[in-house]
Amino acid sequence: MIKLEHISKWVNQGNNRIFLLKDINLGIEEGEFVSIMGPSGSGKSTLLNVVGMLDTADEGSYQFYDQPVHTLKEKQRSQLYKQHIGFVFQAYHLIDELTVYENIETPLLYQDTKSSERKALVADMLDRFNIVGKKDLFPAQLSGGQQQLVGIARALIAKPKLILADEPTGNLNSKQGEEIMDIFTQLNREDGVTIIQVTHSEKNAAYSNRIIHLLDGRIEHNR
Amino acid sequence: MISNYITIAIRNIRRYGTNSFLNLAGLAIALAACLVIFLVVKHEYSFDTYHTNSERIYQVVKKEVKEGNEDFYGGIALPAKKALSNDFPTIKFTELFTSFGAQFTVLDAADQVSNKKFLEEQGVFFVEPGIADFFSFSWVEGSPEILSKPDMIALSRSKAIKYFGSESNAVGRSLLFENKIRLRVGAVFAEPPPNTDFNFQMLPSYATLESNLDLWGYEQNKESWGFSTSNHQVYALLPQSVQPEQVNKQLQDFVKKYYRPEAVGKIFHFLLPLKEIHFDTRFGNNGTHITSKSSLMTLQLIGLLILLMACINFINLSTALAVKRSKEIGIRKVMGSTRVQLRIQLLAETFLLVSFAMIIALLITWLTLPYLKYITDIQEKLPLFQSNVLLFLVIILLATVLLSGFYPALVLSRFNPVEAIKNKIHAHSIAGLSLRRVLVILQFAFAQLLVIATIIAVSQMNFIRKADLGFNKESTLLLSGNMDSTSIAKHTGFKAALQQLPEVKHISFSMDAPSSDNNWTMNFAFNQINEDLPFDTHIKMADGSYVETFGLKMAAGEFYRSEDSLRKVVINETMVKKLGLKTPEEAVGKTIRIGISEWMPIAGVVKDFKNNSLRESIKPTVLFHAPGKLGNYMAQTNIRLETSNPGQALSKIEKVWNRFYPEYAFRASFLDETINNFYQQEERLSRLYKVFAALAIVISCLGLYGLISFMAVQKTKEVGIRKVLGASVGSIVVLFSKEFTILILIAFAMAAPVAWYMMSGWLENFVFRIEIGWWIFLIAVVISLFIAWLTVGYKAISAALANPVKSLKTE
Repeated sequence: MIKLEHISKWVNQGNNRIFLLKDINLGIEEGEFVSIMGPSGSGKSTLLNVVGMLDTADEGSYQFYDQPVHTLKEKQRSQLYKQHIGFVFQAYHLIDELTVYENIETPLLYQDTKSSERKALVADMLDRFNIVGKKDLFPAQLSGGQQQLVGIARALIAKPKLILADEPTGNLNSKQGEEIMDIFTQLNREDGVTIIQVTHSEKNAAYSNRIIHLLDGRIEHNR
Repeated sequence: MISNYITIAIRNIRRYGTNSFLNLAGLAIALAACLVIFLVVKHEYSFDTYHTNSERIYQVVKKEVKEGNEDFYGGIALPAKKALSNDFPTIKFTELFTSFGAQFTVLDAADQVSNKKFLEEQGVFFVEPGIADFFSFSWVEGSPEILSKPDMIALSRSKAIKYFGSESNAVGRSLLFENKIRLRVGAVFAEPPPNTDFNFQMLPSYATLESNLDLWGYEQNKESWGFSTSNHQVYALLPQSVQPEQVNKQLQDFVKKYYRPEAVGKIFHFLLPLKEIHFDTRFGNNGTHITSKSSLMTLQLIGLLILLMACINFINLSTALAVKRSKEIGIRKVMGSTRVQLRIQLLAETFLLVSFAMIIALLITWLTLPYLKYITDIQEKLPLFQSNVLLFLVIILLATVLLSGFYPALVLSRFNPVEAIKNKIHAHSIAGLSLRRVLVILQFAFAQLLVIATIIAVSQMNFIRKADLGFNKESTLLLSGNMDSTSIAKHTGFKAALQQLPEVKHISFSMDAPSSDNNWTMNFAFNQINEDLPFDTHIKMADGSYVETFGLKMAAGEFYRSEDSLRKVVINETMVKKLGLKTPEEAVGKTIRIGISEWMPIAGVVKDFKNNSLRESIKPTVLFHAPGKLGNYMAQTNIRLETSNPGQALSKIEKVWNRFYPEYAFRASFLDETINNFYQQEERLSRLYKVFAALAIVISCLGLYGLISFMAVQKTKEVGIRKVLGASVGSIVVLFSKEFTILILIAFAMAAPVAWYMMSGWLENFVFRIEIGWWIFLIAVVISLFIAWLTVGYKAISAALANPVKSLKTE
């Protein structure tokens, strides 16, 4: 599903070139549950952004479903990830001005889904996460765990093949964190959704079936 | 999708309340200004365009070249129409004669003079039946054919109702014109619309005029080509195939054929298109005002500038806000929104805001329109909802949305999503601070330009109001009288009766007040030398009480007395200088001959008073008590009152008037008001300046506020660090104020010379005018700085008071 070859990304500071990612070679198959670990500044989030096509590498090639992402134009890339990828963030990143319902609906708006179909899909999702009663609330009126549920619901609404989660439990207490990880596991096993998460926690990493360790922009461990 | 955009737009508008309010207020004011200007301009351009034949109607006008000067006249010689019809058989001509301030008295059913009499200041035209082929009329009763006979009159509907109660009652009844001519009402027509310079109200037939020319003293001019009056005009209706240029060429032969040989090369006739009559300042028209196209252009330019200023503010405020909204934009991008979709969303928000501003603007406009008459020449209330207004609204709405929404949408949609989500967008990433500064400088330059113009215009108007005219203009009542020997003969009795009233201090009879728009000049000779001087003298006919009534001061000798057996005159100081005499005393006792009069000794020299408005210089003037038939011109009664209740005095005087002149309508005016009326246009202009200066100041302050908000966001970190390092609140406020003080001073440097140049030109209109002192500029810059300070003070202080821990944490 994902094939990264010789991926490097850097910033220039004066005459020095500082590598954020250096010569990353990585393949991820459909249905995997992968954790990316490593200390702060090791390039975890950068790698996730590159995989998620929010960011581009300066060097190397990236194949997504056999499509050469590194050669695609922005519009085509956006088309690709809109269809296949859902994001979950540590800070939830819900739009404060929109209700729970509207937040979940947003990705569908950008995929030109019909209004009646949108309604059905959002209703399903609200049901699935038991947040029907909260659909008219604004993010500020929810707890962190509830906000993250909405974030996941939003990521799943467009039926993506791949979920990218950047420390999804980082702002939650352990009980809420467990719930979220259970949902991920369930998604991975029952729906066959590929999941890549960035995490600091060994406990969360244990939910996955592969862990990649990064250090200074290089893959240190890949098991 | 659209409904989603709208929901979000409304929520965002609410969320950023202050910002939205500023945007809304600025836009609404600017849009209202534009709308008002549009209505005014549209109205002015619509003058006399509604006539079916308006494209083919021309006025036959005259140009005279005298000693290199070109003078233009709308009036034409009395025999001109007949000659024109004869020489241009394919063209239709019609002539008309306007009569200002004519009195009409209702004759009752038994044809007896009734008490019902009115003065018609406007709208009295002696016309031919052919007039209906030129201008569009709709006839309610009768037809224009009745105008072919003498002693017939057609009335507008409102006049028919005014005189006879209803339009159907009017036909067949009679009116007495100026107590002389009986006119029978033959037709009634619908009221002309307000956008015409031909406000037809009372239309006696032209044949009536022709048989009564002696009433105006024109009998001897009937066949004269040397005489013309602006009251007598000729219009041409060209066939489709004839071009005015051809006619203009042929009109040169026309001059050769009819005028004296020496007039050839000096007198030119040409055709002035009807659509130019409202705008051509070389000629007077029959309406209330002439509007030059350049002043309409200026007005449109001001409207455009104000709208641009508001759009600039919108851009400034929106991009300043962009930083706060970057997270939302980032998330949307991650959710798969394309740039185009984001731009559409942002433009939709702008659209909503502008539409809302438009609604407020409509309300403001609707509330403003009744007050338009105080700042423009348009005296009637303009309708807000008329054709084209909707089209204008749509165009201006779209233009504003694009102008103000496009750039912010472009900037916001360009954000890198990863940075946006992580709050890494700072004001630094949004380029164009220097552009913003330039825009604010331009705004303030424009605002200060208007402020300086306003101060100068207002000071000049104050100067005019307080100027020493050389005579007393307070508590003086002027009664217009009739210039016939019977009325004049009653003067002595009338004066004696008025003197019985305790409120009346002085009474005099004269042609006009010391200051008037009268410019009667005559050739004259001085000191028994039987040759006319190379310049003409202005003349004022007045009796001996004129000097006390108006409080004129003597420089030498004394004022003549009416009862003097020997006719004497008084001259003014300017005349003394023009005659080359060293002192006024030298003039006293010398003689003067005016026109073909006998030689008259100079009794005294009066100190200079202003003959006309302060736009004009003081003219060499001779005052004398007119003898014989000329004495009929001294028909105006001047009454100096001494009372605390002028209203009561007025009604007493009216009673006396009605006893002596029952057949004449009582027409009184106070001298100071008459004089103020000289400056109506200037008064309105200075009010117009005030309004637009205030608008420009408000809008540029909104702009300044936007800029300071933007800077506050941008400098959050700097301020935080400075505070941690120990900076005081005061020093940080100074940090902000230094910036805008410099901007305003730069703007001032740009505005001051332009304003000086512009207003010097305007002041040139006045012979008597103020100097543009440095203090005017000082006031302007102090006002701007003060208002700017008020605007940014709050923002600067709140930025300075912010907790540094908070502002630094985001890093």
